[in-house]
Amino acid sequence: MSGYGHEFNKGIWLENPVFKMALGLCPALAVTNSVINGVAMGLASTFVLVCSNTVVATLRNVIPSKVRIPSFIIVIASFVTIVDLTMNAYAHQMHKTLGLFIPLIVVNCLILGRSEAFASRHPILRSIVDGLGMGVGFTLALAVIGAAREILGNGTLLGYHVMGSDYTDMLVMILPPGAFLAMGVLLGIFNAIDRVRS
Amino acid sequence: MMKGIGRLILVLAVICAGAAFALSLVFAVTKEPIAYQKKLEVIRSLQAVLPGLAIDPDRDFIDVPREEGEALRIFRSPSDDGIAGVAFEVIAPDGYSGNIYIMMGVFPDGTLGGIEILSHAETPGLGSLITEEEWKSIFKGRSLANTNFKVKKDGGDIDQITGATISPRAIAGAVEKGLRWFEANRDTVLAAGEGA
Repeated sequence: MSGYGHEFNKGIWLENPVFKMALGLCPALAVTNSVINGVAMGLASTFVLVCSNTVVATLRNVIPSKVRIPSFIIVIASFVTIVDLTMNAYAHQMHKTLGLFIPLIVVNCLILGRSEAFASRHPILRSIVDGLGMGVGFTLALAVIGAAREILGNGTLLGYHVMGSDYTDMLVMILPPGAFLAMGVLLGIFNAIDRVRS
Repeated sequence: MMKGIGRLILVLAVICAGAAFALSLVFAVTKEPIAYQKKLEVIRSLQAVLPGLAIDPDRDFIDVPREEGEALRIFRSPSDDGIAGVAFEVIAPDGYSGNIYIMMGVFPDGTLGGIEILSHAETPGLGSLITEEEWKSIFKGRSLANTNFKVKKDGGDIDQITGATISPRAIAGAVEKGLRWFEANRDTVLAAGEGA
């Protein structure tokens, strides 16, 4: 059994939720039309992931396996609602932008997946680190997709113009099809990097 | 067997109770800020469509019943001699994707103080340019008397946006309808009387 470092790092590259396990693709495709939206969604998901992993790991010996899925869903849905209300109150503009996709974090299979596959079988601290690593990996993935789409589709990065005045925006990249294009090309690139390294 | 089921029910009930407790706490804490943000949003849109006029959205309004649909909330800016301007929401149902919600401000003489896009789902980068100040501002000072509320492509006076004609057309139509409604209901809308 390796240490906490591995538990954290695996989420970032080796088992990256989006690029390696292809989990949580709905938010990864839907809200990544800019870096800032991607990062905000990633952070919201990370919060839910860490909190639900903590609670699930704490209760792992109490919850009978027959009702574990409903129990996990209740825990996850509660934290998602907490994020939803908190963002609505203190990050109103971002809440409006992400809109429907905040409540939809409930059905992000990444979060239920980590509860089921990891937190329900590991001690609390290890589960927290796992949640953090996966969350950071998810946020990074969304930021990368968001950056690619924002640069190509809008000529900006974090709102600053980076492509020069001659650049014609590839509008399709910030429209829904652009999400699939960016995702597919990035997946290919990361797989190629892996192949070269091994 | 019964004992097993009892345990399942108990565990689920306890988890639900815990979740409900946590949520009620968060709800209690965030209720005020959320209401405040919503109010702030209304105030911002009112200031955009009736620049310089003071309106308290909690007090300065009347609800005017319409032939169809629910009553329309009219925000009214009070002044010494009646009403200085009114603002109300119109919906453009024929946008490129989904309804466009518009707040429009009208002075008692029927000229527009301005429009504000409250929410829309138009194409980013094309139709979404309707939210740019530059485009919205072309509505300022227009009225049924001095403007043909059609986009230039349709022979009217409203600038379309390159690559996006449908969204401006929808908005121009909705604003025109709003102005006609205002003219038809002018007496009710401007009538004295307390709102709330």
